Amino acid sequence: MIKLENISKTYQTDKMQTLALSGIHLHVRKGEFVAIMGPSGCGKSTLLNLIGLLDQPGSGKIFIDGAEVKSYRDKDVAKMRNETFGFIFQSFHLIGDLRVIDNVELPLLYRAGADKNRRELAKAALERVGLSARMEHYPNELSGGQQQRVAIARAMVGRPQILLADEPTGNLDSQMGNEVMEHLLELNQAGTTVIMVTHDANAAKRCHRSIRVFDGQLVA
Amino acid sequence: MNILRNYLITTYNVYTRRKLYTAINLACITLTLVVLMVITALLQNVFYPTGVEGKSDRFLQVWSLVLTGENTDQNSPLGFKTIDRYLRPMRSIESIAAMTFPAPVSVYHGQQVSELQMRYTDAPYWQILDFVVLDGRVLNAEDVAQGKFVAVLNQSSAIKFFANEKAVGQSLNVSGQQFQIIGVVEDVMHVNSFADIWMPLTTQPSSDYQNQIRGIFGALLLAKSAADIPAIQAEILTVAPHIVAEDPKRWQHAYLFADTKLDLFARALLEHRYIADSGAGTLLLIIAVMMLLFMLLPALNLINLNIGRIMERGIEIGVRKAFGASSNQLVLQLVIENVLLSLLGGALALLLAKAVLVWIGASGLIPYLQVNINFSVFAWGLALTIIFGLLSGVVPAWKMSRLAPVLALKGAI
Repeated sequence: MIKLENISKTYQTDKMQTLALSGIHLHVRKGEFVAIMGPSGCGKSTLLNLIGLLDQPGSGKIFIDGAEVKSYRDKDVAKMRNETFGFIFQSFHLIGDLRVIDNVELPLLYRAGADKNRRELAKAALERVGLSARMEHYPNELSGGQQQRVAIARAMVGRPQILLADEPTGNLDSQMGNEVMEHLLELNQAGTTVIMVTHDANAAKRCHRSIRVFDGQLVA
Repeated sequence: MNILRNYLITTYNVYTRRKLYTAINLACITLTLVVLMVITALLQNVFYPTGVEGKSDRFLQVWSLVLTGENTDQNSPLGFKTIDRYLRPMRSIESIAAMTFPAPVSVYHGQQVSELQMRYTDAPYWQILDFVVLDGRVLNAEDVAQGKFVAVLNQSSAIKFFANEKAVGQSLNVSGQQFQIIGVVEDVMHVNSFADIWMPLTTQPSSDYQNQIRGIFGALLLAKSAADIPAIQAEILTVAPHIVAEDPKRWQHAYLFADTKLDLFARALLEHRYIADSGAGTLLLIIAVMMLLFMLLPALNLINLNIGRIMERGIEIGVRKAFGASSNQLVLQLVIENVLLSLLGGALALLLAKAVLVWIGASGLIPYLQVNINFSVFAWGLALTIIFGLLSGVVPAWKMSRLAPVLALKGAI
């Protein structure tokens, strides 16, 4: 499903170069639930961003569904992100100027020839996370847990093959965190490949496997 | 369509949820357009053929005669002799009118005394200018030839003196002379027609005016068609050297120019006293540059505001990119937001400019002013505002849309 070959990434600032990832080889199979763990600043999020085509590697190859990502042209990566990936962020990143339902509908808006019943799909996604009663609200009218559930609904509404979650429970209390994990597991059981960056060892235990990153490298 | 709906919802929410930003932005656009529209409407009233001076594309003004001698010169209105002897025989004109410039006079009616602005005119003046006669008639050739003590009043003065009574047929004492009112015309505020009361130039207290080269007159030269204007301007240059001043030893050269309204103001402002070129081109350039500078300030302000606003939405842009928005779609969204705000500003400006013009008219700041919005100016102003809106939106939007989504999501801009 996802294959990374010898991926490196360096961040360049005016004064210094920072090696974020080096020589990463990774293979995630279809339907897997993989946790990426490691200390802060080790390169976990960078790895997730490279997999989700939110960033470009300095060197190495990325294969998605067997096909190498060769073009990072805006139009090409926009299409791939839209059709292949769903994203969940630690800080939820809902658009404050849009109602919940409009936030959830967002990925379908950018899909060429998307279903005409996108509103129905968005409503169904909100129902799955138990927030259909809140669809006319604005994000700032919801609790953190509710906002993250809206973010999950947004991530899954387009039925992506791969769900990328960057510390999805990091800003939530344990009860809310558990709820979010239940939703992710449910999605994974339905066939979605899930890759999740987390500091939470308990959450990682519920995944099929965990990989560890340390100083920009995968460790056993 | 759905994506457009999403853009419109976002636009509405962005502007209603950031009220201060929206208010500043709207004020910026609206005030710029209002000032532009009001100034242009006033300028149009002065320079373009409208209303009573609707034939101004066919007539030229000669308002002054410049005489020069050794180390001295004098710029004064024309004497009647200059008009009668030197200008009237010009072959390129269809007709010529003589008029004095508005001057204050004391007018008595019973116990009431008022100061009015008065002009002496001849009969052709009333044919070249298109006064709207509300009652009676205007001055004719017989009135002027016979020096009849008759006068035409404007509407405001007629109401001032006679209230609800009929003014025509009544008498007024103007500086000790008794004049019969023969007509009432609409109030006007144009350079050649503004006055409260008009009398035949032959009713002046003295006939000395007939022999004066310099005096109190201006002339209107009517062309057969607008195409003949250059021919008149050329012919008058050949007339000027023949003018003989009252004191030829002192005044050796005479300069006389037939000017359009724009020429008239340009010549006065730029002091082009001795050359045919009035400097109108330079004046237009100065006005254009000033208007551009005037628009540049709010444009820069808009750009600044928009950059700030768009930068503030870095995370939103990152999210939209993460979920599949292309750079072009993001640019379109941000530009639509700006253009919609510009259009709203334009609509507000139209209403406000109309209100300002009505207020100026009613306030009496400029007497008898009747000015309307010029829709072509509005369209141009709006087009410029939209262009500024586009420019101010496109640049930051384009910059942001090309940002790697990972940076936008971090707010690392």
